[in-house]
Amino acid sequence: MEASQSEVNPNPNPNPNTNNNVNRNSIMSSAPLWPTIDGPLGLTEEESLSYSRRFYKFGYALLPWLWAVNCFYFWPALRHPSSFPRIRRYVVGSAIGFTVFTALLCSWALTFAVGGEDLFGPVWEKLVMYNLADRLGLTGWS
Amino acid sequence: MAQNQRSKSIIDSLGEEIIRIIAPVSICMFMVVLMVCVLNTDSSDSASSSVPTIATIAYAETGNDSWWDKLKGALLNSLVFVAVITLATFLMVLLFYFRCTRFLKFYMGFSAFTVLGFMGGEILLFLLEDFRIPIDCITFLVVLFNFAAVGVLAVFMSKMAIFVTQSYLVVIGVLVAYWFTLLPEWTTWVLLVALALYDLAAVLLPVGPLRLLVELAISRDEEIPALVFEARPVVIEDSGPGGPATQRRVWRERRNIGNSSGNASIGSNSTTNVATFPAPGSNFAPGSVLSVSSDNNNNTRLISTEDTELSAPLIDHRITLQSNGLEDALSSESWSLERIGLGSAGAIKLGLGDFIFYSVLVGRAAMYDLMTVYACYLAIIAGLGVTLLLLALYEKALPALPVSIALGVLFYFLTRLVLEVFVVQCSLNLLMF
Repeated sequence: MEASQSEVNPNPNPNPNTNNNVNRNSIMSSAPLWPTIDGPLGLTEEESLSYSRRFYKFGYALLPWLWAVNCFYFWPALRHPSSFPRIRRYVVGSAIGFTVFTALLCSWALTFAVGGEDLFGPVWEKLVMYNLADRLGLTGWS
Repeated sequence: MAQNQRSKSIIDSLGEEIIRIIAPVSICMFMVVLMVCVLNTDSSDSASSSVPTIATIAYAETGNDSWWDKLKGALLNSLVFVAVITLATFLMVLLFYFRCTRFLKFYMGFSAFTVLGFMGGEILLFLLEDFRIPIDCITFLVVLFNFAAVGVLAVFMSKMAIFVTQSYLVVIGVLVAYWFTLLPEWTTWVLLVALALYDLAAVLLPVGPLRLLVELAISRDEEIPALVFEARPVVIEDSGPGGPATQRRVWRERRNIGNSSGNASIGSNSTTNVATFPAPGSNFAPGSVLSVSSDNNNNTRLISTEDTELSAPLIDHRITLQSNGLEDALSSESWSLERIGLGSAGAIKLGLGDFIFYSVLVGRAAMYDLMTVYACYLAIIAGLGVTLLLLALYEKALPALPVSIALGVLFYFLTRLVLEVFVVQCSLNLLMF
């Protein structure tokens, strides 16, 4: 659907005492207020930390896509190098993990697809998915 | 441009709100039509593959029966299906009443995993076979596992990224809708009409299960543990005295979080005005009962549309405004807006069952011709618009299926019987089109 709108909010004014000093309309803030991509609709910073950490740890269970979602969700933390240092550790780790895993998986998939039988021999026929589906009758009812 | 930014009326955000609910519905329908066109090019309609499901348990349609037999069979099928759905919905209401929310959430996650993993996997396999894409099983399994696991998390956890959750809900809708289009033709149409009627009854009658569910949820100020598509609320940049802090709409949280804001002087306005559309079908309990069970003897499998919880009647839910003195002026205005249900903080909710049955209708229309697709799409969107209008008018839970399905079915048959002849003849004689 639509991309997120409120990635970086103009500096809000949490403390009315400093009301006069902060220009609410300045969007020059390099420090985003909200750590998630949903902005004010998303999580607070403490919750973000726990979520980010959980995503990072769960990603090790062969879930690079979870790492990617982690990076997407906490995009402001990734985008602005000086913000949310605690969250940023996990997000950067997820980004690296995702890139590495995807590179490995893509290279394997491409080798398999391009190499074909020449490279693999008869094992190729056994491994390719549509043959496997036929043999196991996975799409049997159509 | 007007300097008075305070005078933002409902008109400013109305279009955006409506678009945010129509866009995903349209995307869902488009994906189903695409899949139907791509995957069904070789199978003919009459030789309907009788997929053994609960929806065809009473009668398996073959191409050779007389139309009266087909009609009777379809009616029987639909009756069984609606009965099963009613039972499952009542079961869900019971569980919700006894606060077994953990079980319901677990079931939601399980059904999401089944739909994404197994149904999604099957459809992916169809595509792979059709296009002969040489993917090996390891890559396939890793990708599918990832997809399903993150989908379960998105559905399970209420605080995932909005875009991710919405996308996964749409994907689940697409997958289930595609499976439904595999039903025989007469059964599909009669089923759609039957479900529209069931929807009407379940949401509007005082004894209807969906109405009970909604009232329970509202009285307890809880979220219905169901697969419900919630549109992103429009955040209007209001130059009130509180500034952006007052506009913190808490996504999916129904309670005032003023206490948790930490800073007493902010008095955050957690106004989550939720105008929800429960899709009567959404209480897609039917799905729940259709469990995947592979009978070893005769190798039949029931389609599991595990989206039991795909129900959510249309709700117009207003949360009390918590404001401190500074924001009274602002809050009173936004309060009046939110009473209509589509106010500045309004988030329209549409049950996933609505998505599914709209897409089933359009998918079935696609099996005939694209002309019927266009007609049915317009009819459904018009119906959805009417329903939204009624929602704004009545401010209570409304069924989203009846109007759209009625218009859709009407337009389908009119197009097929009347319009097509006209258009074809005009084209053949080079008169128009």
